[in-house]
This record gives sequence, structure tokens and C-alpha cells, in this order.
Amino acid sequence: MDFPLLFHHTVCGGLAAAGFGVLFNVGFRGLSWCAVSGALMVAVRTVALGLGWSMEAASFGAALAGGILVQLLPSPIGVSRNALHLLGCIPMLPGGFAAKAILGLFAITAQHPVATNETLITAVDNTLRVMFTVGALGIGLAIPTLLLRVSGMRPVAPPA
Amino acid sequence: MKTELLQPALGRESLEEIAMVALEFGRLLMETGASARNVEEITGQVAAGLGAERIDTRVGYASLAITIGIGPDWITRMRRVGPLGVNQRLYHALRATAAQIEREGFSIAQARAELDHLLRASPRHPDWVVALAVGVACAAFGRLLDVDWAGVGPIFAAAALGQFVRRQLALRNVNVFLSTTVVAFLASTLCGLGARWVGSQTVARDMIGPVLLLVPGVPAFNAQFDILEGRPTLGSARAVWVAVTLVFMTVGVWLARGLLGEGR
Repeated sequence: MDFPLLFHHTVCGGLAAAGFGVLFNVGFRGLSWCAVSGALMVAVRTVALGLGWSMEAASFGAALAGGILVQLLPSPIGVSRNALHLLGCIPMLPGGFAAKAILGLFAITAQHPVATNETLITAVDNTLRVMFTVGALGIGLAIPTLLLRVSGMRPVAPPA
Repeated sequence: MKTELLQPALGRESLEEIAMVALEFGRLLMETGASARNVEEITGQVAAGLGAERIDTRVGYASLAITIGIGPDWITRMRRVGPLGVNQRLYHALRATAAQIEREGFSIAQARAELDHLLRASPRHPDWVVALAVGVACAAFGRLLDVDWAGVGPIFAAAALGQFVRRQLALRNVNVFLSTTVVAFLASTLCGLGARWVGSQTVARDMIGPVLLLVPGVPAFNAQFDILEGRPTLGSARAVWVAVTLVFMTVGVWLARGLLGEGR
């Protein structure tokens, strides 16, 4: 395991989650939890990638592990559990790949057909990676919420 | 807060008022980035706390509808929803107030007063704090994308400036997609120029770093939650919005790369 890389990614994940927490108007009390959430999930993903997992599988594992821990936190912590879980996943969003994928699709239209194949394969590869990674994160986010969330709200009857 | 007992039989006017207060909560929840399930649950709490016996809601992308009933009477009302954003503190306050309304059985006047107070008192981080935080977040994001250390400073500065411009455009009600392209172009161009000036070896990658503030993460996840929780129409609408936003963001980066001759 490359521990300096793990430390570096953990710090960057925490900073990114806390920074986006400010953008989403999380209170100061909840920002430290956002940083912990982002750091933890990026650390799990880095470890999983180091073990040879694919990006999609590592992202899913990180979102799932983070989600289970977040749902077990005591309340109140100044930010809702769902928001905390979601903010922890923000540093793992493949925004860079999304931009590369769309730029690749733009590039195809500007090239001679013979030169298009390699660009097309790269663009499709990036597009699929974005779709599967976002899907993996979303499912990793949803499973703990659906399974572990204890709802104290009373059932609402449909209209007669 | 003092609890007032509801009259056994509320008139049509009261039904109307309960519906409108519940819809106002729902509208604000949508605009603060809540998922459809949370909007339904919290809106239901408010209506129940105000005396509704039967509640059914429909959450759409641009509108909300609620049907409430008391005894033999029932009413259906609809409310338009404004631009969807993310505001965690307001969301948290709305959620807490709705629980209080349900628990303590507020009157309609009390609920309205509480909502007005909440909107007036809900704090926001100052714009300069948000801009700096977004700069730090994008710089950290950039490092996760393997940009070199020389590229971190330009990403920080360009993202902070991009967030400032984005806020100014939002205050002037500029179309959100147009704003996305303008901010992406500006931030990406400035970052590219800065990265070249400081001698970064990853200029093409650096130029993507400061536009990551525009990636609609919360709507992307909400789209999936909505679909998984049985609301495919709203989830699909959110997913389309996310895709279009990404295209407009990439157009800004593409124009910047064309201007600076990067990525050819």
C-alpha cells in the first residue's frame, strides 16, 4: 500500500467535501463532519484501487462503507445524514471524465473518418466510465439509506 | 410555542390554507435540494400537524400538487416550484420545523409565522467565503485528478473567481445553462493561462479542475434516488437536466481549449 498516496488522497477528499459543504450552505458545525465523510470515502476508494479493484467497484465499496457509517452516527450533528453521505461522495464524482468524454465526442466531428476510431473508443470508454461510476456511487448511497434509515414519520393515508 | 386545538370541522377556507402552507414547505424543500421522498414526507408532516386527516402529494420537477382531506371534505391544490438549488441549512430548519408542527399541532397562523421567521433568519455563508471554499475544493479535486502541484494555484484562483461570477450571474437571473458555459469558459481560460505562466506540465488537465464546481452532483444523486424510490418521471427529468448542464459546461471548456490551443 502506498501510504503517502493514501494520506494525500484522504486530505484532498476531506478538503473537497468540506469546500462543497460551504457551497451547499452546510453550517460550520457540520463542515468538520463533511470533511471526515469525504476523507473516509476517498481513503476507502484509494485502498480498494490499490487492491486492484476497478474504479467502479472501488467507488461502490467506498459509497457503501461510508453510507453504513454515516447512518450509524449519533444525531444531531449539524447536518442531515443523507447530506453528509452525499457530500462524502462528491469528491468521487467523475466530473473530469465527464468533461473528457464530451470533449472526445466533439473531437470526433472535427476529424477525418480514418482518424476517428481511436478518439471514438476513448470517448466511449470515458462515457461508460462516467455512467457506471455515477451509477455505482448512487447505488452505494441508496442501499444503506433504504435499509438502515429508521423513519419516525407517521404513515399518511391516501385520500378516501 | 403555544398549542391551539383545531376545531372539529374545518371549513373549505381552512383546507385551502393547510394545503397552501404544506405546499410552501414542499416548494422550499425542492428548491433546497431535497429528494422527492423527503419532500413528500415533510409536506405530509406539516399537513398532518395542521389537522389534515388524509394527504396525498405528487412531486414534479417544476410543480407540486397536494390533496388533503378532513372528514367528508377534500381539496387539491398545485404550486409552482422555482429553480432547484442546494441549501442545507434551510433544508435542515424546514425539516425541524415540520417535525415541530406535527408534534405540537400548530395553528395555520403559527405555522405561517414560523415559516416567515425561518426564511428571514436562515443564514448563508458570505459570498467571499463560498468563493474561497470552492477554490480550495476544486484545487483538492484537481490533485485527485493527478494535476501537478504547479497547477493547484491556478485552479484555486480560477475556481474562486468562477464561483464569484456564477453567483453574480445567478443574482441577475441569467439562464442557468448560459451561466454554466460562461463560467466554464472564463474559469478554464484563466486557469490555462495561469498554468502556462507557472510552468505546469498538465495544462490540459488543469483546465478541467476549476469547472468541477459546476458538476451537478446533488441533482445527479437525487435523480437516482427518485428512480430507485419509485418516481421515474421526476428522476428522469433531473437526469436530463444533469446531462444538459454537463454539455453546457463542456462547451465552455471546449471554447477555452480552442482559444488557448490546448488538447489538439
